[in-house]
Amino acid sequence: MSAAAAEATERGEPSGGGGEIAYVSYGGEHHLPLVMSLVDEELSEPYSIFTYRYFVYLWPQLTFLAFDPKDGKCVGTVVCKMGEHRGAFRGYIAMLVVLKPYRGRGIATELVTRSIRVMMESGCEEVTLEAEVTNKGALALYGRLGFIRAKRLYRYYLNGVDAFRLKLLFPRPDPGMHPMMMLGNERDDQHMDSPYL
Amino acid sequence: MEASSSSTSSPPPPPPPSIPASSAWADASPLLDAACRDLQDGELIHGENFSLFGAMSALEIMDPKMDCGIEKSGYYSIDEAIEDGIAPVPLSLDRTLDIQRTLDVMDHLFSCEATWHKGHTLAQTVFTCIYLMRMERTSSHAILNSFCRILRATCYAVVSVVSTARTHEEEDLFTMSFGLPLRDEGDEKCLSILNSVEETIARQLRACKAQALSRKKTLEGLESLQDNPDLEEDYCRALLCRLRFRKHFYHVVTCLRKPHGRGLELARKHVASCLTELSLMLNSRDFLRSQSNNTQQQGDEICTTASGVRPVGFDASLNSRLLSPAPPRAVKLLSWSDAIRYFEKLLRDLDIICSSPLDPVLENVLHFVVQFQKSVPDLVPRAFLQTLLVQDGKLYGRDLSCDVISRALSLPDIIGDKEFQMNEFVVQLGQLEFALKREFGETRNVLPHENMCMRVSKQLLVWTQEHTYWVAYRFLILGFELDLYSPSEYCMVYWYMYVVLMKLIEQMQLRILATRRKGKKKKDHSKDSSRDTAFPSSCLLLQCYVLLSEGLSMMLAALRNESNSFQLPSIFNSEQEHFDLLQKARLPEHITYYSFRESASHASIADLTKYNFFKEIHKITPSLRGSFASEPEKLAEIRQIEQVAEHNRIALNIISQVGAGDPSLRVSFEFTHHPHFAVAVVKRS
Repeated sequence: MSAAAAEATERGEPSGGGGEIAYVSYGGEHHLPLVMSLVDEELSEPYSIFTYRYFVYLWPQLTFLAFDPKDGKCVGTVVCKMGEHRGAFRGYIAMLVVLKPYRGRGIATELVTRSIRVMMESGCEEVTLEAEVTNKGALALYGRLGFIRAKRLYRYYLNGVDAFRLKLLFPRPDPGMHPMMMLGNERDDQHMDSPYL
Repeated sequence: MEASSSSTSSPPPPPPPSIPASSAWADASPLLDAACRDLQDGELIHGENFSLFGAMSALEIMDPKMDCGIEKSGYYSIDEAIEDGIAPVPLSLDRTLDIQRTLDVMDHLFSCEATWHKGHTLAQTVFTCIYLMRMERTSSHAILNSFCRILRATCYAVVSVVSTARTHEEEDLFTMSFGLPLRDEGDEKCLSILNSVEETIARQLRACKAQALSRKKTLEGLESLQDNPDLEEDYCRALLCRLRFRKHFYHVVTCLRKPHGRGLELARKHVASCLTELSLMLNSRDFLRSQSNNTQQQGDEICTTASGVRPVGFDASLNSRLLSPAPPRAVKLLSWSDAIRYFEKLLRDLDIICSSPLDPVLENVLHFVVQFQKSVPDLVPRAFLQTLLVQDGKLYGRDLSCDVISRALSLPDIIGDKEFQMNEFVVQLGQLEFALKREFGETRNVLPHENMCMRVSKQLLVWTQEHTYWVAYRFLILGFELDLYSPSEYCMVYWYMYVVLMKLIEQMQLRILATRRKGKKKKDHSKDSSRDTAFPSSCLLLQCYVLLSEGLSMMLAALRNESNSFQLPSIFNSEQEHFDLLQKARLPEHITYYSFRESASHASIADLTKYNFFKEIHKITPSLRGSFASEPEKLAEIRQIEQVAEHNRIALNIISQVGAGDPSLRVSFEFTHHPHFAVAVVKRS
């Protein structure tokens, strides 16, 4: 899926007005249109309302919204899921968006950090996502959070751009006890995440 | 869910003629209305088994971002488009214009074909051509018909190669044909049909030349292509190179598929002919441009024809309803110039395949594949190489893998021993040690000498370990090529490369020692003496990589220790988790993150300048140059290694003089001299 909220790498002057941004967890039906319009506007991949519902209905605790307190406008959102994936409990960041004038202020970092915290507390062992190889802002953002590029996916997006699969491994509680990891255990990951391939 | 309920007041329309009159029809509108009242727009009933795949497979009809079947061209079917006259046959009643337009169709198809090879669907590229979709319509137009027929046969053959090779893990759009008319009776005759058309035009061209010499005004006994005698020769040439390219390319594709690589030599000749025709196609551009209407011309970077004119007979959205129920993929066709460049590269890559000596020595086969990969070949040449190398599970469809490995192990004594070949352990390299022990127990009575069995098992083990480390090393450097590593990870990646390379050298030396010992025992076994001297130089080359890897790793570690740069973030995880991902293969044994941290934590710039890894390289390379004197690729590699070493040696000196802790010092790493080994760039701000 798509995950792109180009946070400017260099922290420029905030142009979208001052004031503290308010972050709220997904609170129900009234938030759904806000999430949808933000994602539709900013991301290249199209999603039907069912895709949004799939995420926010099953994992409302992993969806966050950012509001500008000045006018109450929703300026950013993150949508995620988690579940068993090949023997590991894995979090997945599906969509991350911050409106252009509000980028470079750490809003995307804050949104995604909140989701990752909940994933960690829920027992996730790792978090994954895909990002366009050309989306330098998103790649830098996730790099700062400790994500590594696990794989390159050829022409992953509908617009023909390659993707990196990014992965964040959480520290294991007991390094001596984990089961033997096997080679090549993620050969067809992309088929799980994108039905469009 | 969107549901229309607007038809309640008006009488229902009569059933379409396709529905048989005998069926009894009931009005389901009231039931649908009732169901709609229960659910609001966009609501869904959530079942336990509702998956992300299910959610994403739902499309919103009439949303242009999602609905690939949405009406864009205004045509409901190909037939309607044809009726509307977008693909006339002949292409024009003006015979000169007809030839011009035929050439444009050929060129646009050429651009479409290249775009398809680059990873789009056939339906959205080559088969946007209505002439190709309804080929029977072109039967009266011999030139277009023969061109389309051989193109279709070529597409079919290429799909078959790529499906057989299965090298297209993530490029699987390539082979989807969505029920397109990819094959038809008579396509096997495409060559003879094309040949006769080509012969006619060639004769016409000869007549034009003869006429130019004799200054006669009319062409006797021959049907001219078009009505303007002054243009006849150029049009003949433009058509001939396009038709001949198709012919030779079809030959290339079929020759490469011949079993046991028997067609390689002939394929190579056709590759050369294809390249000649491509350059003739390029030459025809000036003439075609000069003849086309300037107002219709597009810019070179987007135009898909040599003339620059948009072709007739294509509709980009006609097949959209044939595609899978998924949002539409954007297709940007390659320009004609880019398509020429694509085919030139494709043919050069295919030429490398044709040059394969069909060497049965495994080391050489692996070397061939590595060299081939350096040119970053696209999907189609990769598929051809795969189908050449492995046919019916045998190397070139010829040598059993058991034989190939026995040869690699230099086991001449038992190669012919059928009972030895029956032993599974030769094949099951993955479970090597385990399988060996089991097999010994079972075959004790069969094999005459247990001693020999032990020797073979040891050699097999060493050989397998060596190749496993070789693969691990290839895997690590692939990360640089795919841009997977961040600069803060370089330190551990190079350290890991250093460890793997050391192991690789160790196994290589063990193997050489084993073969040498054997050579001494058997006096008559002297033909391997040249190999004995060749191995150390490949070891020495690896030694250069070891020094580069260790040097870079320690330089980065020292910078981390002394200047706090190249640190990994530690919000959610630490360096260890990054290391764990590298270590998925669990190779070599007993190497952990702690071994890395132990060696990295003591690194200092002062020590590095004392024992300078980069200087050491210059002690090795002169002798390497001598032993690789006849191999230009290796010499180029050595030059690159020396450059990386020299730049890093100088950088290290500067850092040491300024002091790594100096806040004005900026060090970055670039891959300007070697694809896998970085060069430190030092700046002061």
